[in-house]
Parts: sequence; structure tokens; C-alpha cells
Amino acid sequence: MRARRAVRLLRLGRLPYAESLAAQERCAGRQRAAGPGAAGWLLLSEPAGPVYTRGLRGGPDPAGEARRLRALGAEYWRAARGGLLTFHGPGQLLAYPVLDLRRLGLSLRAYVGALEAAALGLCRRLGLPAARALPPPYTGVWLGGRKLCALGVHCGRHITSHGLALNCCTDLTWFDHIVPCGLEGKGVTSLSEELQRHVTVDEITEPFLDAFEEVFHCTLISHEESIG
Amino acid sequence: MALRALRRVAVSLAPRCPGRGGPFPSARSAWPQAAPARSLGTSALLFSARKFTDKHEWISVENGIGTVGISNFAQEALGDVVYCSLPEIGTKLNKQDEFGALESVKAASELYSPLTGEVTEINTALADNPGLVNKSCYEDGWLIKMTVDNPSELNELMNEDAYEKYIKSIED
Repeated sequence: MRARRAVRLLRLGRLPYAESLAAQERCAGRQRAAGPGAAGWLLLSEPAGPVYTRGLRGGPDPAGEARRLRALGAEYWRAARGGLLTFHGPGQLLAYPVLDLRRLGLSLRAYVGALEAAALGLCRRLGLPAARALPPPYTGVWLGGRKLCALGVHCGRHITSHGLALNCCTDLTWFDHIVPCGLEGKGVTSLSEELQRHVTVDEITEPFLDAFEEVFHCTLISHEESIG
Repeated sequence: MALRALRRVAVSLAPRCPGRGGPFPSARSAWPQAAPARSLGTSALLFSARKFTDKHEWISVENGIGTVGISNFAQEALGDVVYCSLPEIGTKLNKQDEFGALESVKAASELYSPLTGEVTEINTALADNPGLVNKSCYEDGWLIKMTVDNPSELNELMNEDAYEKYIKSIED
């Protein structure tokens, strides 16, 4: 039986969004230098504070938007990822796979589908079989008309970065100030809302990793050394 | 004179067929393998049939100006393009410099310059109709035009046959 490919797991814990981006960049740099044979990375983190991020496309009034959202007490970042405006904060799992698509044998489109499948795998394990991935422009994982998990990725020289944001016990009122992902009339939700109990990032991490290993046919190896 | 003959041959052997999903017709293997990128006196006469990079961009050169786009393989892999981020006219690019990105299904994918040169035009039709990149990746879905500062760089790119083989090797 062919051994599953190894992917290095980096558990960053709770840290500022900017630091999770920096860690991701370091891994992506190492991955680009190493070439397609090298094992990829999966970075997990939980944002330490509230952050709004806008993707590649920008909005009609980026400076005004930044001012308005910072005035709420959140950070505001532009991210070189697909997707529009979203929120990240405590109680949310950020998963950033830094993988070489050539090694995975996946098109970018199929890779996004695989991320959705990993989130759906988690939902099944938690007893939420009704969770669904929807086609563009509603890419993401939904329960009814409420989005549970948002996606936005970047691909440069075949290496992926950014990834998914899954609401565990996120304070969803932060989403009231934006039209998440530019989708008017759609709601957001969290695992805590759907399961009607307090669900932490820590609680769901292992089942998420199981689902990730299943979808990507890989074995996650904890990476202890610092990647600074 | 020789160059005009070359161009007629190119037109008859390499008809552009927008929207084709399949592999390139084998008639193209008749195209001379030597890279036809020699400048015949002035750079304005520089001409090259479509060449490809390993990152799935293509460039074809006419009158010394290169037109750049992404291949059919690339547009299929991306999915529906919803936004094109392109450089300003006048931007100077070295070969393999990142010059923009295409957004599709929540994914932003970088674009890399096939050659060294300066951006002379960008496809403004893509602002309102980014889907042209999918529907017509070799024709109406072109991304930028640029000067060709080092014609010898064309020799480093793949011709259509070599690119076709490259794609097959990736898919296996």
C-alpha cells in the first residue's frame, strides 16, 4: 500500500492575524524554494483579535472602508487571496494549507473543492450532515442560508496560501457591519449556533485534522521547530 | 520577404480556434522546430508563433509586440474568472516577474511574464467581461501586450507540441 504523503502541521495557536500571515509567507517561501517533492504545510491558528480582510479585487472605496471598520475597533487588512470582504476573530479556526498543486495533482478549482470537502467532513463528524458546499458565487460551506465556513485562497508558482475560516464560537455580531463576501441577504453562523452549545476551536481541531487527512490523502506530522 | 512568407505559412498551419477544449491538432507538428524568433534587421519585424511557459502563460509576437494570455489548460484549471488584476501600461517586466493575477472561485492566481519587456496595452474588455479569459483564452481573452526586449528569451519557451507534452506529463 502506497504511503500517504506527509504534510507538516504547524499549530500556531492564538495569535494576531498579521503573524499568521507572516508564518504563512515563510512556509510558502520555503515551499517554493524546496520544489514539488517537498512536503507541504498546514498552518492552524485562531485570530487573537477582530480583523476584517478584503481580497484581491478591492472595493469601491478601500480607504473609506478601512476607516469605517477600524473605527469599530477591528484591524483591516488587504489579503492577496480570492474572495471579497470577511471577518476573522477569536473563536474562529483559520486553516492555511501551503501545498504544491503539482504534487497534489489538483487544479486550483479542484483544490478549492477539496477545502470545502474538508470542512464538510468536520461537519459530518460533529453531527451536522445538512452542511453543504454551494457553487460559485456561493463557494463556502453553508447550513441553510447561513455561511459557516468562508474560503479564499492564493496560488503563486503552484503553491497555495490562505485557505479557510471556520466559525466555532466567533462573535457573529462583527459580521453585522459588512456584507460578508459581498453576498447580500445571506447570513452567517457558527458551530456553537448550530449545535446550540459552546464549541471551541480546540474542541474541533482534531476532527478537522482527521477530515483534512481524509480529503487530501495525507498524514499530518506535527512540526515542532520554529519557522522564524 | 522571407518573413512575409513565414507569416503566411504560420497562418495556414496555425489557425486560431477560439474555445477549443481539446488537444492541439497534429497538423501543427509541421511547423518548423527552430524558434522563428530571429529579428530581420529591425525589431519591428520580429514575429513568433505562440510559445508557452511552464506556468501556462502564452505569448505570440507580431511586429515586435508580444500578446500574452493564459492557455486553455490554465483557464480550465482556474474555473470561471471573475476578475483580472493587470499592470499599468509602461510597467517594465523581467522574464518571470509577477505581472498580475486572475481571480476565480475564491482563488487568486498569479500571472508571470513570459519575457522581458514593457507593457504597451492591457485588455480593457476584461474589466466588464472577465469571462473572456475562459471563453476565448487565445483570442479575445488576451491579457496584456508588451515589447520584446530580449528576443532570444523566446527560444527558452515551449512551442505548442512541447507544451502539449508538458501538460500530459503533469496530468499523469
